[in-house]
Amino acid sequence: MEAQIESLRAEALAAITAARTAPDLAAVRLKYLGRTGAIPLLSEGMRDVPKEAKASVGKALNALRAEVTSALEAGDRALASAADEASLAEVDLTLPGIAPLRGSIHPLTQLLDRAVRIFRRMGFALADGPDIETEWHCFDALNTPPHHPARNELDTFYLPDGRLLRTHTSTVQIRTMEGQPPPVRIIAPGAAYRRDEVDATHLAQFTQMEGLYVAEAVSVAELKGTLEFFFQELFGTGTDIRFRPHFFPFTEPSFEIDIRTAALGERWMELAGCGMVDPAVFEAMCDRRRDRVYDPETVTGFAFGFGLDRLAMNLTGVPDIRMLVENDLRFLRQF
Amino acid sequence: MKISLSWLKEFVPYAGTTQELDAVLTRAGLEVASLETHGADFPNVVVGQILESNPHPNADRLSVTRVDDGSKHPRQIVCGAKNYQVGDKVPVALPGAVLPGDFKIKVGKLRGVESEGMLCSAKELRLADDADGLLILPSATKVGAPISEIFPPDTVLEVEITSNRPDWLSLTGIAREVAANSGEAFAEPSVEPAPTRENAALARIEDPVGCPFYSVRWIRGVTVGPSPEWLARRLEAAGLRPINNVVDVTNYVMLELGQPLHAFDAAKVAGGIVVRRASEGEILPALDGREYALRSTDLVIADSARPLALAGVMGGEGSGVTGETTEILLESAYFDAPGVRATARGLNLHSDSSYRFERGVNPAGVLAASNRAAQLIVEIAGGTPDEAIATAGALPQLEWSVALRYATCRALLGLALENREIDAPLAKLGLDKVGGDAESAMWRVPAFRGDLTREVDLIEEVIRLVGIERISGRVSGGPAHASAADVSYDAAMDLRRALVGMGFSEARTSTLVARPARGDFLVLRNPLGDEQCALRSSLIGGLSAAVRRNLNLGAATVRLFELGRVFASAAEEEATVLGLIATGPRAPRTWRDAEAAEIDLFDLSGVLEAIAPGAEFEKTNDARFGLALEVRIGDFVSGVVGQLTPGAARALGARGPVVAAELRLDAVQAASLGKGAFIPSPRFPAVARDIAAVLPRSLAFGEIQRIVRASGEPLLADIEPFDIFTDDSGAKLPADRKSLAFSLTFRSPERTLTADEVNAACDRLRGRLRDELGIEFRE
Repeated sequence: MEAQIESLRAEALAAITAARTAPDLAAVRLKYLGRTGAIPLLSEGMRDVPKEAKASVGKALNALRAEVTSALEAGDRALASAADEASLAEVDLTLPGIAPLRGSIHPLTQLLDRAVRIFRRMGFALADGPDIETEWHCFDALNTPPHHPARNELDTFYLPDGRLLRTHTSTVQIRTMEGQPPPVRIIAPGAAYRRDEVDATHLAQFTQMEGLYVAEAVSVAELKGTLEFFFQELFGTGTDIRFRPHFFPFTEPSFEIDIRTAALGERWMELAGCGMVDPAVFEAMCDRRRDRVYDPETVTGFAFGFGLDRLAMNLTGVPDIRMLVENDLRFLRQF
Repeated sequence: MKISLSWLKEFVPYAGTTQELDAVLTRAGLEVASLETHGADFPNVVVGQILESNPHPNADRLSVTRVDDGSKHPRQIVCGAKNYQVGDKVPVALPGAVLPGDFKIKVGKLRGVESEGMLCSAKELRLADDADGLLILPSATKVGAPISEIFPPDTVLEVEITSNRPDWLSLTGIAREVAANSGEAFAEPSVEPAPTRENAALARIEDPVGCPFYSVRWIRGVTVGPSPEWLARRLEAAGLRPINNVVDVTNYVMLELGQPLHAFDAAKVAGGIVVRRASEGEILPALDGREYALRSTDLVIADSARPLALAGVMGGEGSGVTGETTEILLESAYFDAPGVRATARGLNLHSDSSYRFERGVNPAGVLAASNRAAQLIVEIAGGTPDEAIATAGALPQLEWSVALRYATCRALLGLALENREIDAPLAKLGLDKVGGDAESAMWRVPAFRGDLTREVDLIEEVIRLVGIERISGRVSGGPAHASAADVSYDAAMDLRRALVGMGFSEARTSTLVARPARGDFLVLRNPLGDEQCALRSSLIGGLSAAVRRNLNLGAATVRLFELGRVFASAAEEEATVLGLIATGPRAPRTWRDAEAAEIDLFDLSGVLEAIAPGAEFEKTNDARFGLALEVRIGDFVSGVVGQLTPGAARALGARGPVVAAELRLDAVQAASLGKGAFIPSPRFPAVARDIAAVLPRSLAFGEIQRIVRASGEPLLADIEPFDIFTDDSGAKLPADRKSLAFSLTFRSPERTLTADEVNAACDRLRGRLRDELGIEFRE
């Protein structure tokens, strides 16, 4: 019996070693461990084993069963691992990746959002106003003389009822002050309209960012510090910023801001207008509100505005402003 | 405005370089738009005369000339040009000259023949952009003269003048600014003032509002002819065309002092001059050769018979100074700025004169200009002026004062200036301190600074001269609460990012659109054209155009969104909406996957479900769509999602469906509110049963869903369709039936369900569907 066990062990282990595939191995398992397999058959011979030898033969049989089982498991693992390796080895790693579906945020929005984030870091809140405005909000309240050329029908879009499409986002300054007492510290991105024929540098509709800070004791120093911080955040600390005296009806003193930076080709580029809120604007607010919370003797403020379209063009090298509204996906997806 | 540097230097001896002057002007608020060099500033380039010209022995195209350069020894110069004759005078670059492009002239051999210099073209001296052959000079030109004497070098700066500074519309005004900013002295042209005398026979004002003051000076015995070279050159540098010596003087003085003038031929003026309103429809043939039909609001200068000129705008044909003129009436007046503006704009007739009157001329300069022009006319054209200037009306107030509080100035600038640092710039600008103490000062403003009437105007002058670079920037201010605009901005940015993650790219289309075919919309009164005459009432039109463009450009799949304003004549005029549009295969073909199926309506309603959880859809009719679902969020109809009619899709160039949606941003915002509250995940597993039903093709899944949901089965958690099959041929299924497979999910929050109770619930639901809808089931 013991000799039988020994020969069966050698035979089974050899068969396991010889099995090269999972079905071969399964057949080996069946042959030796199946219900009518060689090992169960041999176990049936226990009945004929003398009593005194039963213990040792039983032990040997169990050892045989355990050894074959474990060899089969090892065989399974080896085959699985070989199969795994083979399946991985087949992958052609030079094939290109398959990108997930993804769109893009418009470059103008991206720039606008950068600008918004910078002003928010300084504590500015957002404000909003309508595109369709009254002449009062767009011009009168902003100290624009009655005969100012900007009011001309050649330059400004009017609706049949005499209202207009705002020519600048400065209207939001007025809307905000109408609705709340000082302090006011807001930025207002939005659309503005001018009756320009469309060409490579002009659109009839463009995007501006307006800002206003009104409180007690706001000075040119705050104006300068705020916009220096903004443009240096936007373009980097190596940016040169120049405030050049200028004229706007609604601010005094007024300045234009020129920027010189590597990102814009190291030449001065006019990017923004700004200034201290003209006392006439505050007086218009006082009249409108029927109170004196915006008395120019008690509050001062600064305002600024800049166009985002040209800035986006300059920052990205886009040569034609119309590309910003053509919505060519090949263009949009670059950003 | 164009200013000649050599002319400017007559009034301020500015010694710095042109670049330094550019910086001074820029700092003062005069933006320099361009900088041109005129004339020829080349040492060793002189006028030469060609004495003889012979063919070059070795080159057909060249000639060998002998040229008199004013020295005793004529030079031999090889020349390639053909446009000269012996005896012509031309510029000669002598050895040692350096021409543009760092081109050094040396003695050398050209094809074996020695050449001692070069004969120059206008282009080689930068006197013209291109030139054929040599620059032939007038025969009277002096041989040997440096070329810079013939073409005196000058720099012309074009400066942009802001509308608040009409005083800068003159050389003297700019010179004053340069003087104040550079510390140099300003020198006004000296003029002998003539007496004035009211003379109603010669000049009368009928409209004192349009013309507060009018003056005219009679100058007899003038000889009209071309202007001298220096005068013509200065006008040309300023961009004006020389006409004749008298007209040129009026323009010259306008450029010099900023006061527009006009000269009439006295022989063509019948009776005295009247400044009056035109009669409606009165015709004026103007100097630009066109006839203008005047309105009763237009102011004219007339004689007893007819209008002679449009006041402050343009002279008339037939009364101007010509070669035959011997007596002139020299007008210098003060016209009302809004009146001139209205006339210039109304007639669309703009001139250097109207430009200045519209912005306001210096009342103190009206008579000075008359005197200055009379003096120059006498110098250049001869003649004798009347002793007195004939006047009518009165000049406006010439003097006023403005108080400035030093503390206010320091506070507004945020700069601790001493009182004297505040006084100094104002004094430099010509203001007179007429009183004051340690707290404030009273300043008398010169008449040419009509823009300085308030304290803040003076503060601006202080910082302009002190320089904003003196101020150290600082940031102050407290934290900011989120405004409604902040919340809505953040919602919009979150939405953008979510949509980008779903494959949509952001578009920006125009607010101004062509007149829509239907619906409620607003139009412009003065559009730029039919394509931009209305305010968009929907984003879908602009997005459709973008789809068409992209398909034309070869895109297979287009997915676009826009967040923008739409307009209506309703109570709520402006609303911000989200527009979505998509067409093409859902995913491109790759080496791994075949091209996916075409995007359809369910892709887009799925996007809306993702961005506005809880949105509900209901079939609706919308003329823009072939299929349309109304989108409800909460209790409100907030938008629409649909598929364009197949014809509309084809018109955009699409091969498959084009689907679009429009949804109010505030509704999307509302739908995402409340998200984030904790809902416990189920503790016990769900059990699903797949049901296959056969039903009439026309019966909607929504009916099944409705019955199932209304059943009140307590364990039912969800119903999801997962397969729909039809067979038009009728082979596998009658053609009028469809097979619909759906999955029912059951779950209890308290325990694991048994197969028996789930099967019983399924049987009950099947029974209801059979009874109420006549549905059959496959097992």
